[in-house]
Amino acid sequence: MVGLPYDFLVNPLGAVRSTFEKAISSGSNPASFDGKDWGALQPFQHFLFDQNGLSKVPILNASSVKWLQPNTLVRFRGMIQDMLGNEFYVGAYKDGSTWKTTKFMNSSQCPTGFSPDMRIWERRVLYCVPVPGQNSWTDSSRLGEINNSAEGTSENRQKRCRMDENAVDHMDILAPSDEFLNSSSGKKQKDEQLSPYSQNISTMATSSPSTACNTARGFLPCIVKIYDAAESELKLNDVFEFIGVITLGTEQEVDKDDYDEFSNGLSEDLSDQFPPDMVPRLHCVIHRKLGVHDFLHTCHVLEPIPHRIKEIRTALLNHLTIALGNDGVAAQFLLLHLLSKVHARVDSMAVGKLSLNLTGFNRESLSIFGNQLRLTVKNLLPFTEYIPLTVEYLNTASLAPKKDYEINRLVPGVLQLAEGSHLMIDETQLEVGTLSSLGVENARLLKNLMELQKVEYDFKYYKMDMTTDVQLLILSEGKSNILPADLVVPFQPSAVGSTAITDMDALEAWRWYLSNVRLLPHSIESEMQQVVENDLVAAKQADRNLGSQDLSRLLTIGRLICASYGETSLSLEHWQMVKELERLRRERLR
Amino acid sequence: MASDSSPVNFNTGPSSPDDSFSSPIGNTVSSSGDGYRRRSRRRSSTPSEMATPPRQRPRLVSSETTPTAKEPRSRRRGGGRGASGSDVPPVAATPSSTDDIPPSTEPGDGDDMDEDHPTFVWGTNISVDDVKGAIIRFLRHFRDRQASQSEGDFHTEGKYAEVIKRVLENEGDSLDVDAQDLFNYDADLYTKMVRYPLEVLAIFDIVLMEMVPQINPLFEKHIQTRIFNLRTSTSMRNLNPSDIERMVSLKGMIIRCSSIIPEIREAIFRCLVCGYYTDPVSIERGQITEPTICLKEECQARNSMTLVHNRCRFADKQIVRLQETPDEIPEGGTPHTVSLLMHDKLVDTGKPGDRVEVTGIYRAMSVRVGPTQRTVKSLFKTYIDCLHIKKTDKSRMVADLTEAENRLSSNVDDLSFDEEKVEELKELSKKPDIYDRLTRSLAPNIWELDDVKKGLLCQLFGGNALKLASGASFRGDINILLVGDPGTSKSQLLQYIHKLSPRGIYTSGRGSSAVGLTAYVSKDPETGETVLESGALVLSDRGICCIDEFDKMSENARSMLHEVMEQQTVSIAKAGIIASLNARTSVLACANPSGSRYNPRLSVIDNIHLPPTLLSRFDLIYLILDKADEQTDRRLAKHIVALHFDNPEGIEQDFLDLHTLTSYVSYARKNIHPKLSDEAAEELTRGYVELRRRGNFPGSSKKVITATPRQIESLIRLSEALARIRFSEWVEKGDVLESFRLLEVAMQQSATDHSTGTIDMDLITTGVSSSERLRRESLLSATRNIIMEKMQLGGPSMRLSELLDELKKKNPENEVHLNNLRNTVSTLASEGFVEIRGDNIKRI
Repeated sequence: MVGLPYDFLVNPLGAVRSTFEKAISSGSNPASFDGKDWGALQPFQHFLFDQNGLSKVPILNASSVKWLQPNTLVRFRGMIQDMLGNEFYVGAYKDGSTWKTTKFMNSSQCPTGFSPDMRIWERRVLYCVPVPGQNSWTDSSRLGEINNSAEGTSENRQKRCRMDENAVDHMDILAPSDEFLNSSSGKKQKDEQLSPYSQNISTMATSSPSTACNTARGFLPCIVKIYDAAESELKLNDVFEFIGVITLGTEQEVDKDDYDEFSNGLSEDLSDQFPPDMVPRLHCVIHRKLGVHDFLHTCHVLEPIPHRIKEIRTALLNHLTIALGNDGVAAQFLLLHLLSKVHARVDSMAVGKLSLNLTGFNRESLSIFGNQLRLTVKNLLPFTEYIPLTVEYLNTASLAPKKDYEINRLVPGVLQLAEGSHLMIDETQLEVGTLSSLGVENARLLKNLMELQKVEYDFKYYKMDMTTDVQLLILSEGKSNILPADLVVPFQPSAVGSTAITDMDALEAWRWYLSNVRLLPHSIESEMQQVVENDLVAAKQADRNLGSQDLSRLLTIGRLICASYGETSLSLEHWQMVKELERLRRERLR
Repeated sequence: MASDSSPVNFNTGPSSPDDSFSSPIGNTVSSSGDGYRRRSRRRSSTPSEMATPPRQRPRLVSSETTPTAKEPRSRRRGGGRGASGSDVPPVAATPSSTDDIPPSTEPGDGDDMDEDHPTFVWGTNISVDDVKGAIIRFLRHFRDRQASQSEGDFHTEGKYAEVIKRVLENEGDSLDVDAQDLFNYDADLYTKMVRYPLEVLAIFDIVLMEMVPQINPLFEKHIQTRIFNLRTSTSMRNLNPSDIERMVSLKGMIIRCSSIIPEIREAIFRCLVCGYYTDPVSIERGQITEPTICLKEECQARNSMTLVHNRCRFADKQIVRLQETPDEIPEGGTPHTVSLLMHDKLVDTGKPGDRVEVTGIYRAMSVRVGPTQRTVKSLFKTYIDCLHIKKTDKSRMVADLTEAENRLSSNVDDLSFDEEKVEELKELSKKPDIYDRLTRSLAPNIWELDDVKKGLLCQLFGGNALKLASGASFRGDINILLVGDPGTSKSQLLQYIHKLSPRGIYTSGRGSSAVGLTAYVSKDPETGETVLESGALVLSDRGICCIDEFDKMSENARSMLHEVMEQQTVSIAKAGIIASLNARTSVLACANPSGSRYNPRLSVIDNIHLPPTLLSRFDLIYLILDKADEQTDRRLAKHIVALHFDNPEGIEQDFLDLHTLTSYVSYARKNIHPKLSDEAAEELTRGYVELRRRGNFPGSSKKVITATPRQIESLIRLSEALARIRFSEWVEKGDVLESFRLLEVAMQQSATDHSTGTIDMDLITTGVSSSERLRRESLLSATRNIIMEKMQLGGPSMRLSELLDELKKKNPENEVHLNNLRNTVSTLASEGFVEIRGDNIKRI
């Protein structure tokens, strides 16, 4: 970096400017930069990826936001929660005789008046939030915390935060037509709404003001402005890392009684909804999509050697078996479940999903194994959510995201989850009761999610299906009929073991294993295909009740078993395992 | 406003930064300000406006007044005026910069088109005069193609000349101009209008100003031009900076309307000290400047002026948010929205939830940092200045407009296939395997069930509805009932059809009550007014109403369907409301057999267990039986394996994609109205007679679904649908045969024993054996003979085993099983020939 006239980290705009000037001086017309890059990205790319500058870029989060300097380069990892449309801005203008650009910055210094010497460009505005259910271990700054003792609290706190966030966001909106709108009444409702699962939370969390909550728990949304990216590149609920220039509270103070043609009509000024001091703006220079594996901080990238993978598998399986009270069969299925992923959609069918329903829980075993299981999963996967299903919860929770046209925002729902999230639903607490229409709707949403891996977003005048990829684990007493899972496995614990994790390396390896193995490709030999087909036909002949779902499930299990051994092609041995597992499972069901 | 009209201003037109509306992009305005100015002055009656040249299209929307008007602000003002007619007070007098030249009072004396040197639209080589001439020509001479066979016949008036007259008669204030007409007449003008809408529309207004007095000198209002039906409509998503200041047409859904905003146009102030009223002060740069000093010479009090609200003039304004329709949203995106600005008459023309097509000018407005600061942010707010708004209702397959009433509003005719597409579809229809291909494309993920899919296909295409002069009407909608074992993907088929059909409604029988299906009357808790709310069937008028779990529906609710399915109306008489609502809907229902699974020992009717009155209203009743067939299973297994391993073959076949399928169906429904050919009619008659005869099989009346006259209607509908599939205007013999086949297959009739009404499962799997039927018939007659011989009327009973022995004695070569015999005897019993009690038979 020596010798460069600017420092990418501290003065990224310097880099932007100098490339712009270079481009202009080489005779380009600013008009030709409409919707295009003039060469500003290349030096950044070079710096970040070739010179390994990425790790030096500070991460923007609730704690770092306090000390980050405006107009420096930062990165933000988050999920696209809402898209706020496009924004037109003066991208380049002529100041005297020289062209200047305002790309990647907030600028109010643009000349008044309009002249042909001004180019109007367009950028996309995205509202991003930290990935829902993100576990603290993914945060590299908190590497040490593994066994988070206050599980319930943090979960709920986070949820609270999301909701409070809304309350804050909408504070100045008048029409109280929606429960989220009016801050005072909204808050009250919210507390009620949370009560089913906040009972066990310390009152501190409930009473803490939302701002405290925000910073305490590290919930920091961010408005990201994207330049020149193809629309299809960024999708709702995708998890991205945005590297760009931060502007904090620097946006000129907006006068509330600004005379504005639209102000008395539709208030949707961004700065009204998201005060710049609460929600930083990031002018994104480079973005990249993140997968689950990007959230691990193993420096030691493991080689996918088959024999090493088998070792990890055995150890992990062992760990899961202990967590499940020595129930080996359940552990096998749990492992497969944790590896599942939607890898194709054929019409309405999501191929590859494997939701698991562990039955046979009662209050007692739930208190022991339920928590243990949650903890285990939390430690293994980066994004986990937990829903204690009760009638009250169903009747009050807002599961599906909903568009609020008053503020022109998509109000998040519990089911707005990033790809690869894990959702555990505890049905044991469900008691007899009456569902309201909201409850019925929520139950339907959950069922759709189970069956199709789709969530219906409510756009008021119509609904829109959004595909998701969420692993669903249901704990219930008997087979859950509200939430029909692909696999129903009666849970039969025989011992209580401790799942405390001692070996950090092993844990890291397991995380790596879970996030990487599921990406393996999969194929089948033609002889094997024949075998499988024959077996399916035989199974179908033997039991007329088998539907295509059941057959499909067998193949999914086959694929996952195979992947769990780090292999990419279904072998006869693994197919036998599939059948054996299925046999064991059926035996239990009987 | 006047003030703004300083020449400078207009030359630089675009740059007028002042007001918040100014567009960033330079455009506009005639170069030689003076020529124009002069002219305009002359012409405009109300001086105030005149000042500015045409660049403003100001609102065509609103402003009627002098068209010439200009700047946005004038637009605003204009709007106001619109409301109050041309009674504009002598504003002119005021400060307005009317410059030195006194306004000419005559409106529109203008024929000064040929004025001095040509004026140009600023920044272009478009001559204002040329444009004006073109517009005049268009308005005077454009004729509809069909209306005017003889072009150049000067005796008939042009289309728009007539329209203008009509507008004048109705005291209207706007002239709708179909951009398509404009394009046909003068493509160049059209292009200019789209590119420079402000200027061109202003000229339009000027022209109208001039034409109106020629027709009716007493007409005082101003007529605005509203353009609609642009040739291309933009997707909201694709609006980009280059569209600013252009005319665009967008489709979307209104999601929010602001309340109506009174926008001040002119203010009057009063001095608190002396009570002096100022002359109206008009809006300038989006603001009204309050005089600091009383203008009355004797008073001159400082800061004493106060606004007199009820003497100010306001105009209506409304901001509406338009959102993309769901079908335009790419996967993984959220809908985009755009603001619309509506003035005057357009206010409240749409309400949230309406799907509309909007024509307007895309504009950007800079955002000022503070109310008092001149600096602006580098951001722009964009909005569409609305010129014309048209409601559309287009969802999924386009519901066909068969009724004359719908034809009237030709604008609503939103289903416009472009010619290319039509060609493509026609090409497709010529393929010999189009029927099979469509069948394959329907719910491709559902395995097998080809015949069911064929039936559903017919339902989608539908037959011809007929309305006789006598008032009798015959429905064209085909109703289908699917009865079948659990797990045979009935529900999935339903869901699929529901998604595909125009206005499909999906309900589940268990959750539906009679009123939920038809309509109910509710009372508004606040006003006490009674309101009629439509249920599923009414809502799916002209669509398909899918009812799942039909068997689990309450008897009461089901009975509501009788009327709907034949008369296609829903009648209500409650709470003082007596109404008959149209419910021209096809019903697609599915049900499980009475015992959840099909019971082969019961007759089909007993299995379905629905009242015959209802059954006869279904055109096709499918029995979907889960047969243990290795072939099928193997195909299923292959399919699933392929699914999991991305085996391209097996998955990818030549399906039509959903979009093509829907447009194919929509086109056919709309444009193809097949008629019966003689040959087909003959075949129908023959087949029907045959059908009747079969139903009259001795003793079977209760066990088999008998053909009724309804069935012949069904057959006609099916045949028509089949012809439509081929895009054929004639129903041919092949169609009729296929419709008979469908009817047969549906009921598994090939495997039905007509004497007992049961389905022989062996027959289904192994194929039909006609010898079997013969054998049974001979057994029947043999048994009958024995009974006649051995038993007396009312005599002692006889055991079945004895009977069996007798039979064996008589025909030693024939193997007779007890079961066969039992069947035979029960047939006899149904004829009333014998009576069975346990194993005992008694002749009666």
